[in-house]
Amino acid sequence: MTTFLQTLMDAISVGSLYALIALGYTMVYGVLRFINFAHGDVFMLGAWFSFWVTTKFGWAGEGAHPSIPRALTVMAIAMALCGLLGYLIERLAYRPLRFAPRLNVLITAIGVSLLLQNTGQLKYVFGTENQRMPTLLPATTLATVAGVNITLIDVIIVAGSLVLMGVLDRLVYRSRMGMAMRAVAFDPHTASLMGVNVNRTVSATFVAGSMLAAAAGFLYATKYPNLNQPAFSTWTLLGLKAFIAAVVGGIGNIRGAMVGGLLIGLIEQFGVAYSAPLSHGYITGEFKEIYVFALLILVLLVKPSGILGRLTVEKV
Amino acid sequence: MADSPTTTARPIASIRARTLQLTPPRWVAFCRGAAPIVIGVALAVLLQFYANRWFGGYREKILIDIGINIILAVSLNIVNGYTGQFSIGHAGFMAVGAYTAGFIMYYGSFWLFGDTQFHGGILSATTDPRGLHGPGFSGGDLLFPAALIAGGLVAALFGFIVGLPSLRLRGDYLAIVTLGFGEIVRVVIETTGTVLAGDEIGGQPWYRLLNRVGGPMGFGGLPIYASSFWVWVCVAATVLAAYRIKASTMGRAFLAVRENEIAAASLGVPITRYKVRAFVIAAFFAGVAGGLFAHEIGNMLNAGELGFLKSFDIIIMVVLGGMGSISGAVVAAIVLTILPEALRSVSEFRMIAYALLLIVMMIARPQGLLGIHEMWDLPYFRRRRTGGKTA
Amino acid sequence: MSTLLDISGVSLSFGGVKAVSDFALKLNPGNLQGLIGPNGAGKTTVFNLITGVYRPDAGAIALDGRPLIGLPPHRIAQAGVARTFQNIRLFGNLSVLDNVRVACHLRAHHSITGALLRTARHLGGELAIERHAHELLDIFNLGFRADELACNLPYGDQRRLEIARALATDPKVLLLDEPAAGMNTQEKRRLAELIHFIRDSFRLTILLIDHDVGLIMGICDTITVLDHGQTIAVGPACDVQKDPKVIEAYLGEPADGAVR
Repeated sequence: MTTFLQTLMDAISVGSLYALIALGYTMVYGVLRFINFAHGDVFMLGAWFSFWVTTKFGWAGEGAHPSIPRALTVMAIAMALCGLLGYLIERLAYRPLRFAPRLNVLITAIGVSLLLQNTGQLKYVFGTENQRMPTLLPATTLATVAGVNITLIDVIIVAGSLVLMGVLDRLVYRSRMGMAMRAVAFDPHTASLMGVNVNRTVSATFVAGSMLAAAAGFLYATKYPNLNQPAFSTWTLLGLKAFIAAVVGGIGNIRGAMVGGLLIGLIEQFGVAYSAPLSHGYITGEFKEIYVFALLILVLLVKPSGILGRLTVEKV
Repeated sequence: MADSPTTTARPIASIRARTLQLTPPRWVAFCRGAAPIVIGVALAVLLQFYANRWFGGYREKILIDIGINIILAVSLNIVNGYTGQFSIGHAGFMAVGAYTAGFIMYYGSFWLFGDTQFHGGILSATTDPRGLHGPGFSGGDLLFPAALIAGGLVAALFGFIVGLPSLRLRGDYLAIVTLGFGEIVRVVIETTGTVLAGDEIGGQPWYRLLNRVGGPMGFGGLPIYASSFWVWVCVAATVLAAYRIKASTMGRAFLAVRENEIAAASLGVPITRYKVRAFVIAAFFAGVAGGLFAHEIGNMLNAGELGFLKSFDIIIMVVLGGMGSISGAVVAAIVLTILPEALRSVSEFRMIAYALLLIVMMIARPQGLLGIHEMWDLPYFRRRRTGGKTA
Repeated sequence: MSTLLDISGVSLSFGGVKAVSDFALKLNPGNLQGLIGPNGAGKTTVFNLITGVYRPDAGAIALDGRPLIGLPPHRIAQAGVARTFQNIRLFGNLSVLDNVRVACHLRAHHSITGALLRTARHLGGELAIERHAHELLDIFNLGFRADELACNLPYGDQRRLEIARALATDPKVLLLDEPAAGMNTQEKRRLAELIHFIRDSFRLTILLIDHDVGLIMGICDTITVLDHGQTIAVGPACDVQKDPKVIEAYLGEPADGAVR
């Protein structure tokens, strides 16, 4: 029982991170109808920016003094940097291809992804060494329920994700910019005729998505402080799983991304915890990736539009 | 009925009737069909005997790398270029072929010859064959091509399985499924156990050995068989197959699927069958390339190396050469194999340069250098061929 | 003579909108039938239903007594229904010749091993297809453009190439979706002659959609008029022209005491 509850706790915590990243994928897909492959790398850079800011401020090693204001400062700076990065990516790489075939945009996105990873691991930037994220949040255990420790970090991850998602939901469904986003998603051409500044709206979408990814990157780094080098396949896999969360929930659908994120978190964490005991050791926790991809293929075959998505049909 | 259609003969004869009339004699067709194969094998023999003498060992290895990359790029082109799908898991098929062929060569050698060493003759020799004192032809020379074909077939089976979702999925989604496939292959291989040494194999049933291909440490100890001869025979076969497919009615149906699925279906092209078929063909050749890669000199077969990055390498070759162009893929494979060797001193910038190249390419010349055309379709060559008559 | 294409009671709705309701049509061999109606009347939807792009909610479609409903589009093409598209769907990056050769694929014998080994039969088939395609292009006056990319053709040529390509599948029934769109009067007249010619020489049955009522009235034997998915008139051109419901659909409600 304790294992079950502990796994559930981890699943919710990791799942909300996936949901945060998935939101960026889903928003861009909703507006521009393409998979922003580079989004997972923005998430990675969010984690590395957090590390960089923390060390620059001297909050690592001897100057380390875990506190919530410091954590918030680091997260805000990482979000600002990634927001700027998201803007630049859209402006320089994707905007020239706004009306190009989707395959070309997809290839460009792969190019951007490779560019971010490999620039990140230049020795002048973050290097190819693994780093340890300094502790920014006190490792306090807030409560122990049925043998499960509820830590401050987990609470902050879940609460932070919920707050950010709430803000995004308000932004998209209750603000002028959100209305413009939904209009562009529906039909960019008509939206522009109605006086919506399409370029600005698309930029805003990228900035918002990248900031969420940066927040997820920061929270991830605080929970799992071992940072792999920027081009390590772990990052790509994390980004990919977040993307799968978006697809499973119904791509282009913001609430779907949240549902999908939680679902992926559950499958992955329970896969890790229960694979080996249930299969007498034949299947190891390594197979969690396979469960996630199996879920993706299953959803795509049964309901290609995702759990909450709607299907679009090509007009003949 | 008064207004029944006129019963005049059709203005043109039916295709079926004409086919019989235009079919050339068997021996003519055989000579024309076999000629490129003969030339390809002859070139491969030439390289096998002289590459080492002319270029030296290091450059011969680069030539072999080039050959393997040509096979990969040309085969991926069948999926990404011809049918316009987007597979980013090509290295996954390569890994499947590599491990299948490796398994057969390693454990098969033990079963056939009693040890896991090299048992080839001149054709499989990777050093200067003049210095060779063994037999001219040996059992390994048969086992290796069999292993390559087996690797290709198993990869093709996986190609069929991966191609099936293309019945339902388009574009980006399919890309993700192929990427996922590549990762699953890698993860599964990495959960296997260590390779058994020669004295541990005896008495084990073969299915227990399936789990003994090295896991995260790599499949070490594979005999070196990927000589210039085998590599270039495979290159010739791949390029010839890709060209003949493209130049046939079936190949044009692939291109039609890429250009406009709805129109292709309205003309009777079974779209899904063609898409799956493209996956199967491409996966077969990727599997063969994997088999060669596994037995290449100086390589250690490791699933970790056959991940996304390898797939991206191949994609870049296809995109650069031109989606759908065989000669473009060949040229791009050559250039992108030599370039990193030449730029070894600044190798950390290699992937950055590739990435920038991809982005700039997509913005400036999205169809790649040659688009779907071949080199001999370029205006320069065309003018020379027709004596300057074309406008 | 037996009915070639038999459509009865076909309905389709998208969400709550009835795109086509209770549509019926019988084509005898050699018929040249027109299908007209104002924008959004459901004409193209009828084509999409026949060719299997959409599946009807109710009704039956049969070719030569063989039911077509539920078959995928390529099977329907194999059964002998070819079509052109309102928004031209050529294979833009293929040459004009290749566009037609793709369509010959249906009637040719070919296998992957034949292609890989270049067997005698394969070579004969490819040669036959090439000649066939060239002759079709000549009929449509496109022979001299065979090597050009389809996307580089002028608009009228693209429309004619689409018809040539559809013919290359050797169909029994040809569905033409606005073949005269964007053509001038002279081109339209020539197109009308061409349609008559191919109907007779290929022994085809043709169903034709167009906006240009004049063109349709000029070449079709009978005409079906659709409005809001409903069939409002069927009959020979001269009768349909006078039908008050048709006039209403095209010109709107007649005012009281308007001159008829």
